[in-house]
Amino acid sequence: MFSAFDEIVTVSNLLFLLKGAGISLGLAAVSLFFGLILGIIGAACKISKNRVLQIIANVYVEVIRGTPMLLQIYLIFNVVPMIVSYFTGSPFRMNYYLIGIIAMSINSGAYQVELIRSGINGVDKGQWEACETIGLSYFQTLRFVVLPQAFKRIIPPLVSEFITLIKDSSLISCIGAIELMNASKVLGNQYYEYMTPYCLAGVYYLVMTLTISQISKALERKLSESD
Amino acid sequence: MIRVEHITKQFKNLIAVDDVSLEVKKGEVVCLIGPSGSGKSTVLRCINGLEKPEKGQIYFDDELFDLKNKEKYNLMRRKMGFVFQHFNLFPNMTVLQNLTLAPIQVMKMSESEATTIAEKYLDRVGLLDKRDEYPNKLSGGQKQRVAIARSLCLNPEIMLFDEPTSALDPEMIIEVLQVMKELSEEGMTMIVVTHEMGFAKTVANRVIFLENGQIIEENDARAFFDNPQTERAQDFLNKVMY
Repeated sequence: MFSAFDEIVTVSNLLFLLKGAGISLGLAAVSLFFGLILGIIGAACKISKNRVLQIIANVYVEVIRGTPMLLQIYLIFNVVPMIVSYFTGSPFRMNYYLIGIIAMSINSGAYQVELIRSGINGVDKGQWEACETIGLSYFQTLRFVVLPQAFKRIIPPLVSEFITLIKDSSLISCIGAIELMNASKVLGNQYYEYMTPYCLAGVYYLVMTLTISQISKALERKLSESD
Repeated sequence: MIRVEHITKQFKNLIAVDDVSLEVKKGEVVCLIGPSGSGKSTVLRCINGLEKPEKGQIYFDDELFDLKNKEKYNLMRRKMGFVFQHFNLFPNMTVLQNLTLAPIQVMKMSESEATTIAEKYLDRVGLLDKRDEYPNKLSGGQKQRVAIARSLCLNPEIMLFDEPTSALDPEMIIEVLQVMKELSEEGMTMIVVTHEMGFAKTVANRVIFLENGQIIEENDARAFFDNPQTERAQDFLNKVMY
């Protein structure tokens, strides 16, 4: 089964996989960040009193959460260049990683809308009222009072969202990006042996996800001290 | 200074405030008292705009509170300080930051200017040494004094208190009432919803007794406690005064 184990486990191959892991981690981190921005905007729309904004946010969340991420990736990979070419008349190709970041950010944003909304709803109504009586605007209230308190609650689910993104970044391999999953596949193709590279990739993923969840636990402990 | 004309506020099928009118003059201390659910807090919250009455008008210095004119509405509202039963300090900020937030963000003061004012009011409520603490390190009484200082930083012309001592341990009540008494002695106009009959009797100029969302009796504080006119006020006082 591990017929080419010694040949595959070399410093240069391990570094090749490490580079893939770095790309996976980077894609996940950048997508988490942009997803967070989308999430805050979406959550602000959902809790606002404006019906139109509420509907837009609801449609976004339901459509993205209700369809597979792979479909979203293929849509951006195939359809967006077609549309751009249609209007510009010249062929258009997008960078694989850019496609990944866009698809994953939009996808993660939809999940984060709900996450942030529940965090905001968990903040006592009295905080909003206090801000109202001292004259803060809606956005000032969110920015200075409500979001800082909401974030403290949503750090644990946000970390698990990050872990999900690291694993889901493997979907980008389907359009040819060389992240960790695809890097292990490339090695497998090269040596006609897949067991070793896939197991190695699994170990890399586990190291990343376990490290992050440990950091999250420490962070949670630290934050709960000030309660 | 404040004139409330025929306000009505309904929550689903409960009429919380039923055609209430009242007037508070500059420098006056008016206590709203009555049994739980009598609508006294709702009246106070309507005056500040935390609740929007379905009917009736509220005037501040003879100017109508008009929701349609947002800018003017907010400006008028800022002249009122509001103190909550549960303090509603911001737990993510230090005491000083709690006080300077609105002066800096709303009134566009510089940080040093806002800090000077905040320290002045913290000193006044006797908590200057707590300026860098977080609210969770304070006792209930201290929290409420910080909340009062936070309102005062905006230089209000009238202070509204919504059961300011109801969430406090008994030994913390006096320190808060003391601060309120000092405020009244300095001429601050105040409307206080309270169950502290001793405070109402000694500090208030006037007492308004509500039940089921209506004003039942309104009188000079001393006269009200010594000689309540209505049966319901007598009944209430018999139950709460030991």
